[in-house]
Parts: sequence; C-alpha cells; structure tokens
Amino acid sequence: MKPKHQRLLLALIAVVALVSAGLIAASALREEASYFYTPTTLAAANVEPGKAIRLGGMVQKGSIVRGGDGVSITFIVQDQERSQKVAYRGITPDLFVEGSGVVADGRLRPDRVFVAESLLAKHDENYVPKELADIDMNAAAYTKDTLAP
Amino acid sequence: MHRFANPARFLRIAKPLTPALFWPGLLLTLFACIWGLFFTPTERLMGDTVKILFVHVPAAWLSMGGWTGIAIASIVQLVWRHPLAGVAARAIAVPGATFAAICLITGSIWGRPTWGTWWVWDGRLTSMLVLFFLYLGYIALSNASSEKGDTSRVAAVFGVIGAINIPIINRSVIWWESQHQKASITFSGSSIDSAYLAPLFVAVAGFSLLFGALVLMRMRAALAEMRIEARMRRMAEG
Amino acid sequence: MPHAPFVIASFAVTGVGMLWLVLSSYLSMCRAEASADALREQP
Repeated sequence: MKPKHQRLLLALIAVVALVSAGLIAASALREEASYFYTPTTLAAANVEPGKAIRLGGMVQKGSIVRGGDGVSITFIVQDQERSQKVAYRGITPDLFVEGSGVVADGRLRPDRVFVAESLLAKHDENYVPKELADIDMNAAAYTKDTLAP
Repeated sequence: MHRFANPARFLRIAKPLTPALFWPGLLLTLFACIWGLFFTPTERLMGDTVKILFVHVPAAWLSMGGWTGIAIASIVQLVWRHPLAGVAARAIAVPGATFAAICLITGSIWGRPTWGTWWVWDGRLTSMLVLFFLYLGYIALSNASSEKGDTSRVAAVFGVIGAINIPIINRSVIWWESQHQKASITFSGSSIDSAYLAPLFVAVAGFSLLFGALVLMRMRAALAEMRIEARMRRMAEG
Repeated sequence: MPHAPFVIASFAVTGVGMLWLVLSSYLSMCRAEASADALREQP
C-alpha cells in the first residue's frame, strides 16, 4: 500500500470513529431522555405496569425503611410536587442517604409501587470532611458554608 | 515566535529544563499522593473514596489541557509554519491520551462505590470518552505521516477541529445534567473543603510538571530522530 | 462496601500509567539522542 493511500485510510478510520462516537453518544443521551420520569411526570404519564422506565428525584427525609433481611429497602422519591414509593432489594450506593439525589431503573407494580432493579446515587459538588458534617450526617443538601463552624 | 525555531537553540534550553521539571514534579506528585492518601479526613458521604480525587482531577485537567496544547501548537504550525510546533503537538499526544485513560479508569473506580455503577452514558463521561478516542485518532494520523519526517498537516487540522470537544466537556455537566456532579472549582471559588483542596493543588502542580518533562523528552526524541533521518538522506545522496 | 480496594486500585492504575509514560519517553529519548550523536561522530 502506498503511504498516501495509507494516510487516506487512517484519516477515514479516524473520521468514522469520530462520527460513530458522536452517534453513540447522541443516541445514548436521547434514549435516556425518552424513558426518564420524575414523580410528577410519572403521575401524569399513565405508564402501564411492567414497562421498563427510569425514575429520578430526591429521597424524602425520614422515608427510608430497611427490611429485616438487610437487603430490602423502601423509600419515597419526591420532586417539588409529587412523590413516588420505591422498593428495592440490594446493596445501596454509599451516597444513597435521605435528601440525596437518586436515579432508579425499574418497573411499576400494579399497586403503583415502583420496583427498582438498579439504584444510582448522585453526588453534588460539595466535598466536606466527616468531622465538619456531624451536625446532620444524613442531610446531603448542606454545603461547605452551612456546615463550617 | 521564531526565536526557538532553531532546534539547536531549543535543545540548549530543553536539555537542562527536562530534569528541572521532572524531579520537582516527581517529588510534588509523591508528596501530594502520600498527603492525600494518609493525611486527609474521610468525606461525610463518600468516605475514603474521596482520595481518588487526587489522581482523577489532575488527570482530567491535564488531558484537557493537553488537547488545548495540541490545538494551539497545530494552529502555530499551520499559520506560521513554525518547525517545532508540529513536533510539540505530537509530543503531547501520548501523555495526553494516557492521562485521559487514567481519568476514565479512576473515575469508573470511584463511580462504583459512590454512584453504584462503573459507567453511565452521562454527558461528562461520554464527552471524556470521546476525548480519549480523539487522542487515539490523532496518534494514528500523526504516526501515519511520520515516515517521511515531515509534520503532517492532516493531523494538525484534526488537532484544531478536535478542540471543539474541550468546551463541550467543560459545559457537559450543565447542558446534560444527569449523573456527574457539577464543577466544584470555578473562577468564583471552590465548594471543596480546604482539607482536600490543598493536596489537590499540590497534585495538580506535580502532575503538570511531570507532563511538561514528558513532553520535552518526547520532543527531544523526535528531534533526534529527525536529525538521524536527515543524516541518512544526505549519506544516501552523497 | 469497603473503600480501600477502590482507592488502592485508582492509585495503582495511575502509578502504572505514569511509570510506563516516564520509562518509555525517557528510554526512547536516550536511544534516539545516542544514535544521533553516534552518527555525527562518523565521518
């Protein structure tokens, strides 16, 4: 193969890789948008039970109830207007605390309880040492400034 | 601009500068890693995984800074035909790609315990992966044209166009807010406690000096190879 | 979930990456400069 053709081939590969990376990213982001619900949009959308959806919101304070077996958990996800009961079985991420953001993949049960198959926690942009935060360990919404003595 | 165009003059500066960047860089990096690993408090929600910050953030910043460097050097190469600019741009590529890979891997390792997943197709994570692929494409392009010793203009154009991704990475946490947290350190201040901020800045300084030393080493290697090629060509002709 | 393995893995990945970068860059620089100097010595 002539060096010139080799260069052309590599340029083509680079362009194809670039375009496909962009397409993958775009489709992944769009897919996420199409089945993402908050408690308010979920209440309005009339989603049939058993359909795979994603639910996002804040964990309501005082709503986490852990089952006796150590892996079952129920809690309430809320946004500004509505709330939605969620059941999950499994190990929760470290950042899953009351008041923190959460994204759950799962399905609605016929009794309108959302059964999560996976649970992702969201971190905010604040990094605070434990000693400063012991005023209220479970409140994720505090910032460095409200916690600092 | 062309004052350092003469490779001999450049080498007179680069030769003492390489160890002058490397050793302080290594010391600062090791110091910051030990400080970060053993002498920082656990975070209130993340616990000890907050320590991953001290390698993840410098790697992320330097991989983005690396491509910015490639883009600037490529513009200098294309516009002013500066003979060292192309060499500099290529020298950045492999360290930049390695830092991007380190950023992606350490971020993934951090995500598993804190978010509960190794990977999500979040705007920040996806655009960072695209940056890694851009580096691979740039390396492939510049290697393909290096046989003749001339610095490739195709690679330079690719370097300039690929720079579009840098502001996208920066804005991604605002445009597609999903999994990755927003920027903690902005021009208006930081939401990271000083207990973490101080070792983080030492780590950034250390890794930056190491990055500079690596780029100088790779530039010197490329210049020596160009000397060999020129010599061979003269010997073949004469 | 214990955190130590994740922290150790992150620093190990970074260490291996940096070691590879430094060694490969340094060795290729030494090799190229040595052979360039050797060529210059020849008449």
